[in-house]
Amino acid sequence: MMKKKYILRFSPEIVKKPLVSDLVRKFDVSVNILNADISSGRAGMLVVELEGTEEALERSVEDLLNDGVKCSPHVKALVFRQEECVACGSCTAVCFSGALQMNPESWELEFDQDSCIVCGLCVEACPLRLFTITREMES
Amino acid sequence: MSTRKTVEQINEKIKKGEAVVVTAEEISKMAMSMSPSEIVDTVDIVTTATFGPMCSSGAFVNFGHYSPPIRMEEITLNDVPVSGGLAAVDTYIGATSESHFDHQYGGAHVIEDLIAGKDIKIKARAKGTDCYPNKEVETIINKDSVNEFYLYNPRNAYQNYGVAVNTKHKTIYTYMGTLLPNIGNATYSTSGELSPLLNDPSFRTIGIGTRIFLGGTQGYVSWYGTQFNTMKPKNDFGIPTSNAGTIAVIGDAKEMSTEYIKAAYFEKYGVSIFIGIGIPIPILDEDIAKACMIRNEQIETQIIDYSEPDKPSLGVANYEQLRSGSIEINGKKVKTAPMSSLMKARKIAAELKSWIDRGEFYITQPVELFPKESTVKNLKQR
Ligand code: SF4
Ligand code: SF4
Repeated sequence: MMKKKYILRFSPEIVKKPLVSDLVRKFDVSVNILNADISSGRAGMLVVELEGTEEALERSVEDLLNDGVKCSPHVKALVFRQEECVACGSCTAVCFSGALQMNPESWELEFDQDSCIVCGLCVEACPLRLFTITREMES
Repeated sequence: MSTRKTVEQINEKIKKGEAVVVTAEEISKMAMSMSPSEIVDTVDIVTTATFGPMCSSGAFVNFGHYSPPIRMEEITLNDVPVSGGLAAVDTYIGATSESHFDHQYGGAHVIEDLIAGKDIKIKARAKGTDCYPNKEVETIINKDSVNEFYLYNPRNAYQNYGVAVNTKHKTIYTYMGTLLPNIGNATYSTSGELSPLLNDPSFRTIGIGTRIFLGGTQGYVSWYGTQFNTMKPKNDFGIPTSNAGTIAVIGDAKEMSTEYIKAAYFEKYGVSIFIGIGIPIPILDEDIAKACMIRNEQIETQIIDYSEPDKPSLGVANYEQLRSGSIEINGKKVKTAPMSSLMKARKIAAELKSWIDRGEFYITQPVELFPKESTVKNLKQR
């Protein structure tokens, strides 16, 4: 079993198709929606994490492409210069994925890269500018 | 009646290594099982601390004279404009002054870089006079090349501060951080029961001349801070429920550490600076003890709508609620986040305690107490 993050982009016509449930049913992959941006009459965007066997993931991607969904690996990643963090907490005000949280005992900042959906809100929220988003790193 | 102690007696104990020092968080815990009188009997000093962004900060520098001499009128340090109207080679670096070329770099960064020992580019211009003929200087300075370099912050360590929220439909960017639309989050500052001026709400022991921890070294309270306000409503525990008292502080920046002085940039707001301050409170009598025994749930503060120009209050929250991760506003659960570092504040309170324990830091009696009554005026169009 493996996990991979993908960005799915699709045209308005596809929005009504049961894409997600199809993947679950056909290939036994579990789909975790990390971020969604679907506005009516416009193209939609979904960031998903697929979990399944390597083969199942490959077949899922093929299937999505056949359905007219543009499917690209989500290679954006958040880079955090944690050693410089002063634990002010400003970034936790905008992080709703649970990736950035204050430890309620030590009040140090805890960063959980796996929960990060790379929404980018913390980049501007950190007064020390410790976050950057990169495309080079495979997430 | 419990014993009254004097500052001299406590200093005598510090000298002998016998003074009992606890942090303001520790005393708040002790308060659950001890009376004020018992606290006076057991504890000599309570250390309080805060580490948060404090915009009204800056530093004086004397560069030394140049040959041929110049009476500097326009000065930049790393392209950040600094005060030019201060004799020939003195300046004041305002923390929030921004570079001509990079709005995310400002006076705060110059101060931090100087403390870190880095070289800074100075450019100065003047009209030229008979005794100061030079019209232009461009050279490099650092903290070892200049004569004096001391922090002088006109308004620090606010006694309480409102919680910030945004009721409008668009995100706003403030010095209280990124405030998400429709009360999407709530941010708060101050270190609660550890915060200096919340432990001495009526300024019985903190006054002009009080020796403090400032930026990693010994500093002093030099005056009451600007916008000093004694008229804010207080709750049942004597705590003003919004921003009230402030202090002006001074200290030798050459001795400070970038661990406790950190430049900051708030998105779409500008440059600010994190300042670490620790203040010892001598437990001289029961009233002072009682004030230090204050607990987070007793410290209330207003919830302020930052999206309205006159910043109306939407209610109150206490620090226990704020620290729990969410508060309720208009029946809705709202995520809370701090803006000042409790982790650093704790470090400062512990560090100050260890200085006193080692006999390196003696407490002071204020030379003068702060005004008993003071209000804040606004700037009016005339
Ligand atoms: S990018 Fe930042 S704010 Fe967004 S989920 Fe990741 S850590 Fe949280
Ligand atoms: S905002 Fe920046 S400095 Fe503050 S806790 Fe988050 S990462 Fe650390």
